[in-house]
Amino acid sequence: MLHANADDRASVPDEASPSAEPAFIDVLMANADRLYGYCVRLAGDPHDAEDLVQESLLRAVRNQAGLRDPSRLKPWLFSIATNCWRDLGRTRGRQVPTTPLAEGGENDDFSLFQTLAIEDPFPYSDELHLDFLRLFRDEDVQAVFLQMTPAFRLPIILTVVHGFSCKEAANILDIPLGTLLSRLHRGRKQLEHGMWDYAVRNGLVTTAGEDDQ
Amino acid sequence: MIDCREAVRRMWAYLEESLEAKHFQEFETHLDTCQRCCGELEFNQRMRQMVAERETPPPMPADLRSRLEELLATGPDAPEAKA
Repeated sequence: MLHANADDRASVPDEASPSAEPAFIDVLMANADRLYGYCVRLAGDPHDAEDLVQESLLRAVRNQAGLRDPSRLKPWLFSIATNCWRDLGRTRGRQVPTTPLAEGGENDDFSLFQTLAIEDPFPYSDELHLDFLRLFRDEDVQAVFLQMTPAFRLPIILTVVHGFSCKEAANILDIPLGTLLSRLHRGRKQLEHGMWDYAVRNGLVTTAGEDDQ
Repeated sequence: MIDCREAVRRMWAYLEESLEAKHFQEFETHLDTCQRCCGELEFNQRMRQMVAERETPPPMPADLRSRLEELLATGPDAPEAKA
C-alpha cells in the first residue's frame, strides 16, 4: 500500500481522524467508480490502480477539512489521485513527466480529416470521415490511447471522458491553463495520427499505396 | 482574420468552450467563410464523442469496492488486519 504524503496540494492537511462520517463515505464511494477508472488510466495497470484508488480515498478522509466546497468533490478527488500517482512514481524511482515537452512534435501538422480526404481509403463511403470513426471498436480506441504519451493523453481523458472543464483539468494536473490547452491540442494531433496508423496497420482501411504493393 | 491552420489549432478549445472571447469571435468569423473548417469541426466533435463513449476503463472489481467501504468505515488509521 502507498503511504500518505502530508503535503498533499489538493487539500489542507488535517490531523488523522479516527473514521469518516458515514455520509462522507457514501459521497466518496459514489465517485469511486469514476476515480478507479481514472486511476487505471493514470497507472496503466489495474493492480497499481487499486493501490492508487485506496490511497486517494484514505487521503480524502484524512483531509476532509480541505474540501471547502462540497460541490468540488470530484475534481478534488481527482487531484488527490494525481498527487498519489506522482508520489508512487517517486517512491519507485520512476520519472514522472511533469515538465512541458519539447515544442514542435512530428504530429503537429498531421490532420486526420485531411489525410482521409486525400487518401480516400477503402472501404469507400459517402460519409468517409464519419464512417472511419465507426470502424473503431472500444478496444481499438483503447489501444490507440495506450500508445499515446501520458502527458498528452491525460488532458483528453480528463476533459473528454470525465467531463472536466479545461480549467479544472489544469488544476487537477497542477499545470497552467495555457499548458493544458497546448497539451490538449498536441494530444489531439497524437490521437489523430495514432488512429490513422492503427487503422492502416490493422487493416481497418486499405490505402491506394497498399493496393499497389 | 485567422487562417485554417490557426482555426484547426483552436478547434478543441472551442469545443471545450475554453476559448477567450476574442479568440472565440475570430474562430466563429473564420467558420462563416470556410466550409472546410466547418467539416473538420464536425469531424472533431464526432471524434470527441467517440472517445467519450469508447474510452471506457474497466469497472471497479466488486471485491475492491467492498474492501474500500470497510476500510473507510473503520477509519484510515485502523489496523491493516481489518482491511
